[in-house]
Amino acid sequence: MNQTRPGPVQYAVLALLATVFLYPIWWAVSSSLKPAAEIISDPLSIGALTLDNYRAMFADVPIGTGFANTALVLVVRGAMTMFFCPLAGYAFAKYDFPGKNLLFGVVLLTLMLPTLVLIIPLLLEMSALGWVNTYQALILPGSIDAFSIFWMRQTIAAIPDELIDAGRVDGAGEFGIFAKVVLPVIRPGLAALAVLTTMNVYNDFVWPVVAVNDTSHQTLQVVLATLAQNVTGNRIGADFATVWGELLAAGSIALLPLLVIFVLLQRHFINGILAGSVKG
Amino acid sequence: MASRNRRDRFRVPPSPYLFIAPFFVVFAAFGIYPLIYALQLSFMRWRGAGEAHWVGLGNYLYLLTSPDFWASLGNSAVMWLLIVPIQVIAGLGGAVLLANAKLRLRGLFRVAFIAPFVTPLVAMAQVWIVAFDQDYGLVNHVLNLVGLPDVGWLTSTAWSKPTLALLFLWKTTGFAIIILLAGLQAVPGGVYEAAALDGASRTRQFWSITVPLVRRSMAFLVVVQTLAVFQMFAEPFVVTEGGPYGSTTTAGLYLYDHITASDLGTGAANSFLLVLLVFGLSLVSVRLLRPKDEAS
Repeated sequence: MNQTRPGPVQYAVLALLATVFLYPIWWAVSSSLKPAAEIISDPLSIGALTLDNYRAMFADVPIGTGFANTALVLVVRGAMTMFFCPLAGYAFAKYDFPGKNLLFGVVLLTLMLPTLVLIIPLLLEMSALGWVNTYQALILPGSIDAFSIFWMRQTIAAIPDELIDAGRVDGAGEFGIFAKVVLPVIRPGLAALAVLTTMNVYNDFVWPVVAVNDTSHQTLQVVLATLAQNVTGNRIGADFATVWGELLAAGSIALLPLLVIFVLLQRHFINGILAGSVKG
Repeated sequence: MASRNRRDRFRVPPSPYLFIAPFFVVFAAFGIYPLIYALQLSFMRWRGAGEAHWVGLGNYLYLLTSPDFWASLGNSAVMWLLIVPIQVIAGLGGAVLLANAKLRLRGLFRVAFIAPFVTPLVAMAQVWIVAFDQDYGLVNHVLNLVGLPDVGWLTSTAWSKPTLALLFLWKTTGFAIIILLAGLQAVPGGVYEAAALDGASRTRQFWSITVPLVRRSMAFLVVVQTLAVFQMFAEPFVVTEGGPYGSTTTAGLYLYDHITASDLGTGAANSFLLVLLVFGLSLVSVRLLRPKDEAS
């Protein structure tokens, strides 16, 4: 904008916005650390620090299982995305081959496919395969996604052809060029891809909640949703304060890991978030 | 783009086909196959077990004449009205404030604005359940402190949609600010100075320079958020379970309800109607928002 020095009004507005965005997170985390009864009696108080809500939550909620399952899905899916998406992106960016445009058109079409349309038939496919409540059901569908391929193609297309030709002159094989020339050059793009994939898989909810209904395979988000439904489902006679304390403890412990990663790697996060808005 | 002369320099090895094969294998197994299956299923009456009966367009006709189906689209449309216009305005305002080159603490503000975007939706949905509780929640507690009565944020049909819209806005407005900020920063620095020299007022500069230049980012934002709103699922699923009185049964949640009712043929038909709607909406938004001077 115009390059006048921003005045107190601008700073006040920005500070107000920042408060609005941060307060719910702060309130959830600080409430989870105070005595459960006080969450209800005085929602605004900064109570005495206590881990009681966390103790109760770990006793009642299978959150450790949720974290373990999410971690497993994240590692496998992340590895598949980080390997296969740049590889396909490289083929589309730097090779001419018969049918390339048609095949890339298919990739672009899948970009526009709403997740929801596949939920029911995928669920039936999983039943037919006997895969309901399995890790492969959580991992395989959508593991090599069109968006990441599209984005990696954009990133790799910017590498000068000379660099790749030089690798070829040195006698590297086709895959060798990808591994030794392409991957090192696109390291910042790969970092952003890793961060974005982590965020998407960690927060994914729609498919896991449909594909998995037993406790042993639930991802973290499904564990949280189940807990929330216990709260809304039976208001009467429940020991309110305790349940709310557990709910806020579970929510806080779930949002902190990503928040920490975000603060440490914000540049890559922002590159990842912006990746979709480049001229397509 | 690949250049033509590279094709002459060396013949095409089989490698590129091998490189893209994994995607197409996964897509065939978990994309194309279920899609074809869903299309077939949408013409069947099937309850997840037993005989499937061919009903032709029966499922589609049932949905198109069903008040519940239209109510779910209506709920999503109201959500759209509560979210997208506010988000575009707030996003542009935030982006303009952040774009000032002389701003201090920009990094800090940016972190604060995007923090909600990286939080898990389900975790924040839990916070909403607690904070907007009618009897013991934080929000009504604050209202009482300033002498206002309790509001049924999640228990009245009047407030349930705005309360969920607020969660969506809280979570994604930072994303909107970042997208529009990137659009603004693509504006060459000297443009504003030149306009100021020509005597254009601040307001004039905003409407004649800023808005046209962020049009593309705005169009992207509106399309992405329109698709997101019409597929909204986790917010009503976790916070309100579609209630009260179906007031938050969005298009996405209504689709899920067919699975719960094991009415899978109708569910498949509903998926395709929803896809048609979403495609239609993206086409319309792209059309309406395309800059007049561009033919693309």
